[in-house]
Amino acid sequence: MKRKAGSLLHHALGLGIVFLFLLPIFWIFTASLRQRGLPPPTTIEWWPASPTLENYPYIFELIPMARYVRNSLIVAGTAVPITVFIASLAGFAMSQEGDLWRRRLLIASIVLLMVPGASVWLFRFQILRWFGWIDTLWALIAPAFAAGSPLYVLLFFWAYRRIPAEIFEAARLDGASAWMMWWRLARPLVRPTAVTVIILSFVMYWSDFVSPVLYIFRTDLYTLPIGLQILKQLDPTNWPLLMAAAAVMTFPVLVLFIFLQRSFLSDLSIANLMDQN
Amino acid sequence: MRLFLLPYVVGTLLLVVIPAIATVLISFTEYKAVGVPKFVGLQNYRDLLSYGLVRTSLRNSAIFLALAVPLRIVGALLLALLLQRKGRMFGLYRAAVYVPTIIPEAAYALLWLWIFNPLYGPLNLFLGMLGIQGPAWLIEPTTARLAIVILSLFQIGEGFVVLLAGLQSIPRSFYESAKVDGANAWQSFWQITLPLLSPWLMVLTFRDLVMSLQNTFAPSFIITYGGPYYATMFAPLLIYEMAFDYFELGLAAALLLLTYVLLGLIVLGIINAVGLGGSADEA
Repeated sequence: MKRKAGSLLHHALGLGIVFLFLLPIFWIFTASLRQRGLPPPTTIEWWPASPTLENYPYIFELIPMARYVRNSLIVAGTAVPITVFIASLAGFAMSQEGDLWRRRLLIASIVLLMVPGASVWLFRFQILRWFGWIDTLWALIAPAFAAGSPLYVLLFFWAYRRIPAEIFEAARLDGASAWMMWWRLARPLVRPTAVTVIILSFVMYWSDFVSPVLYIFRTDLYTLPIGLQILKQLDPTNWPLLMAAAAVMTFPVLVLFIFLQRSFLSDLSIANLMDQN
Repeated sequence: MRLFLLPYVVGTLLLVVIPAIATVLISFTEYKAVGVPKFVGLQNYRDLLSYGLVRTSLRNSAIFLALAVPLRIVGALLLALLLQRKGRMFGLYRAAVYVPTIIPEAAYALLWLWIFNPLYGPLNLFLGMLGIQGPAWLIEPTTARLAIVILSLFQIGEGFVVLLAGLQSIPRSFYESAKVDGANAWQSFWQITLPLLSPWLMVLTFRDLVMSLQNTFAPSFIITYGGPYYATMFAPLLIYEMAFDYFELGLAAALLLLTYVLLGLIVLGIINAVGLGGSADEA
């Protein structure tokens, strides 16, 4: 009986947390449904009196929103696969290294995690200029060639480390190449981690606000974060409109997250599997 | 097999390591984005000290970090402890905690611009319902700084997931034998969970010190642009202004280095005070 009460309390707490953490996203969407031009509410409005979807087409008329969406999609669509590929390969290679190099690479990656973004702003510009990538979408895709973030490499590394070494020994004795061991054997076993990295890196490229501010000057190459900033400058207190734009930007990330969150937050499936053995 | 590391290593060298080293070197030169950098020794650092805004931005950053980082880490730890249980519902609770973290920063900033609106924002309307006169938030220096802290507290998904993984890495058998020895939940938290989690907490704290400061850029750029009265002028925004508005790249690099040397000292102080708590290798 006491146990049951405790469990109930636990769930109540959980639901309280859910409420608090879903509030931001709930407000983006409900506020975007409010009619423009109405006097502002004087009490909290959980649901607008006469909800409308009008704000959405209106932002697409007001600013070239469609082009911003397209540019953002091109960037994320190109950068995410490159990121997953490079991070997965590197994580696998790291997991198969001997103790000494594994440790060195691990420490280097953890140190790199601490390198602040601002420290590369100034000179990434120069390097991108040498490549002729300034003022092209490649400037925004570029981080993918460094696996996006050392975090992604580490996530793959930890996942590959959980695979028993005997599996690879056996394959090696059968004369499997390194590529085959990665592609056929290892990669399918860390699918949840790949999903995690897809979500995290998509969010990173899709939301990247700093890179277009620094490296993109052609207005036809602006991405969504800059679009939102432009809309804000046009009409800084038109909340329904601003929230509709925020919703357009948040929606794809949210959909991706909802579809993939199962794998995302249970990225420990392999650990569980091994507990049973 | 080592070949597999090549793209990651080359990419990281080109895009992260070399630019970071170049920044360090350029901080000892006068460089205005065109021409050749001229070596000036420590002149940039001397200039920084006489520049009032530098002190303001460092103070703002320190206040922000002192408030935001402990709250973010403790918050993530509490949530991970509360929600680590198995079961469908708990899976959903965990997913919900992550949701604010995935909201793109430009959208997130606009949302809080509205939430903090003193007259029509939901926060003050809510406080009004409770009979409390809400503050002017983004218009007052103190509350504006606080506002940036508050909005950072919802985006703690990364720390939350890392600590969940840390909790999972602790063998169940430890808890079972503690239970046999008659330890209650409170004791096994202090005796088992916290010590075994400490390397994770440590790495997370260091990363959060760097990342939280970095992540003030978008909100301070979009919501307040450093104002009111430079209350939300944090180091990254000032570095951006120096480099990309005034093209004082040498000075910007020096401020960057100064900021992160100070952060490094804080980290060393923490290590000194608590010790490293084991290695993160097998984590």
